[in-house]
Amino acid sequence: MKILIRSAVIVDPSSKHNGKKTDILIEDGIIKQVAKAGSIKEKVVKIIADEGLHISPGWFDMRVNFREPGFEYKEDLMSGCRAAAAGGFTGVLTMPSTHPPVHTKSQVEFIRNKTQSQPVDVFVAGTLSYNHEGEHLSEMYDMFASGAAAFTDDKKPVQDAGLMLRALMYAKNFGGLVISFAHEASIAVNGKVNESVTATRLGLKMMPSVAEEIMLTRDLYLAGYAETKIHFAPLSAARSVELLREARKKKIHATAEVAAHQLVLDETLLTDFDTNYKVMPPLRSKTDMEALIKGLKDGIIDVITSDHSPEDIENKQREFDHAAFGIIGLQTAYAVANTALKKILTTEEIIKKISINPRKILNIPVPVIEENQPANLTLFNPELEWVLEEAQIKSRSKNTPFIGTKFTGKAVGIINKGQVVMNEN
Amino acid sequence: MESKLSVNHLLGIKDLNASDIELIFTTADNFKEVINRPIKKVPSLRDITISNLFFESSTRTRLSFELAEKRLSADVINFSASGSSVSKGETLIDTVNNILAMKVDMVVMRHPNPGAAVFLSKHIKARIVNAGDGTNEHPTQALLDAYSIREKFGKVKGKKVVIVGDIMHSRVALSNIFCLQKLGAEIMVCGPTTLMPKYISQLGVKVEHNLKKALEWCDIANMLRIQLERQDIRYFPSLREYIMLYGVNKQLLDSLSKRITIMHPGPINRGVEITSDVADSAQSIILEQVENGVAVRMAVLYLLAGAKN
Repeated sequence: MKILIRSAVIVDPSSKHNGKKTDILIEDGIIKQVAKAGSIKEKVVKIIADEGLHISPGWFDMRVNFREPGFEYKEDLMSGCRAAAAGGFTGVLTMPSTHPPVHTKSQVEFIRNKTQSQPVDVFVAGTLSYNHEGEHLSEMYDMFASGAAAFTDDKKPVQDAGLMLRALMYAKNFGGLVISFAHEASIAVNGKVNESVTATRLGLKMMPSVAEEIMLTRDLYLAGYAETKIHFAPLSAARSVELLREARKKKIHATAEVAAHQLVLDETLLTDFDTNYKVMPPLRSKTDMEALIKGLKDGIIDVITSDHSPEDIENKQREFDHAAFGIIGLQTAYAVANTALKKILTTEEIIKKISINPRKILNIPVPVIEENQPANLTLFNPELEWVLEEAQIKSRSKNTPFIGTKFTGKAVGIINKGQVVMNEN
Repeated sequence: MESKLSVNHLLGIKDLNASDIELIFTTADNFKEVINRPIKKVPSLRDITISNLFFESSTRTRLSFELAEKRLSADVINFSASGSSVSKGETLIDTVNNILAMKVDMVVMRHPNPGAAVFLSKHIKARIVNAGDGTNEHPTQALLDAYSIREKFGKVKGKKVVIVGDIMHSRVALSNIFCLQKLGAEIMVCGPTTLMPKYISQLGVKVEHNLKKALEWCDIANMLRIQLERQDIRYFPSLREYIMLYGVNKQLLDSLSKRITIMHPGPINRGVEITSDVADSAQSIILEQVENGVAVRMAVLYLLAGAKN
């Protein structure tokens, strides 16, 4: 099948066409020709042309929860892939927030096999501890050999420093990546929201940012000792950005991500006990938000993720204490990030955070927009203004505070594995 | 003066303004006179059905509300969580909607989770009175406390009130802070650092960890109960040691340079936050608080029912 993309601006720092407005001819999933806009006259099956069209290497979201197996009523692999495609992502890394938790080879293979024909590449993170119990190592190598791209105890993080150290050292044997969610449970106790005057007024149980900072410090130290790499799940506190900055100066090989919603939402939104603002890590202050944005600008934070966390209505529409943490984000992550950052980061810098850096961190080949390369592409429009409507949501769950929110920037479609998925909304 | 509240529900003192509180007080003055008559009942809420939903145990608040409702001639139905459908896994919305389907006009609810009353007000059609929601607010308690101060001193403005104890787990402390501040009192909180929210001073209150200093400063000391049931972990080594640092006994009270007034929201742990001789002393207005509770709750119910039309 021949597809022609007409007059699109290429955003790809590794391509010689970067920044140029071009026509791109794709045949059977391979980029056949890249040429000056309006110059390709081939007869094709499909033409994609739109005002303000941009094209970049396919986006990659390294933190999504697809809930299958175990919680398919919240999200299954197919609905998750549809949401990812609509959000412009050609690749995702799923967290082991399943039941049972992904901690063996067969579970990794189940997800890989079931999603093989999808236009979205689904990579899998397995748990670092056996059965997500936080006591012994899981069979990390066996999972790695079956395609697991990273290891993490996700949001029930390893409290035992010795186990974390052994995980880092063991993964180093075969080049596996350990992802740490910085959260010291003995300090956070049963906290639901950030410690602040806002939460004090509401009588909500609080988790101070020191719970994040102290765990971040521990794991940076352990990674330094083990002389290996480590990646941090979404950070939320200003002090965390500084700790990471200092660690980088000491040549500790640490990378980090931030969840897109943390760039626009802060804790002052909690006053109505709206559970759509109950997320983990919690929404923090405006100062923290500004520090996260500066961390992105300075390159201290490498990646923007959606932290897509589908929850059914029974788990969200209830008392704040009992409601589940998390919001869905695949379809809004880019729009949210672009809206928050468009005056601060260039489009190319944003594309690095949602496409190139995550793949580099996970050691996955980065697509390049050059002739004879596989077409793994995202089409987007960074200037398009739009409003999220509930009917557009592809997820099985609708837990998002962004319904009715106006954004600037939208994914228009993806091309991957010879398949084209256009965002029809 | 306004004759209507600015709110449709009493979810928290946060939502009220000073004239709302004054209106509740002047209304309560009338009801206090009524409940001291030989015939204590008035027909104000005839044809109004009120459901008391208590998802958490309570003795005095529940009795106080029930008495207030009955003296206003409302029809009352009671519900408590134990032995009900809640233990069968029914959600809060379903429980309440089922009760409302029986045509209830007002709901008085106590619940263990902060924000439960706000949550309810967004999902059902009835006037809601928050009778305590977790560690968030207990507005009628704060109103009756401030009313009792007003009764004893003639006014609240300018009075110095210290709240002593487990500030972190206390809805009474929070509602009292908001209420007394709106009326112009000065507030101090006193307790161990582990039970003190880190940012509490940003609410405009003084923070003191030395009990003797706090008592020397104040006109009124409101002694909170230690809420072991709300503490997930142990914040102090033993009750014995807590008493050594934060218990008020007669000897301490007599050692102060002035006579202060002692309040307590109840139930008292005698010998913990205050000793019996303090609780029963002439300086204590604990039983006046209980009496005023009925009048204040009558005022709140009466005014909210009026807001309906």
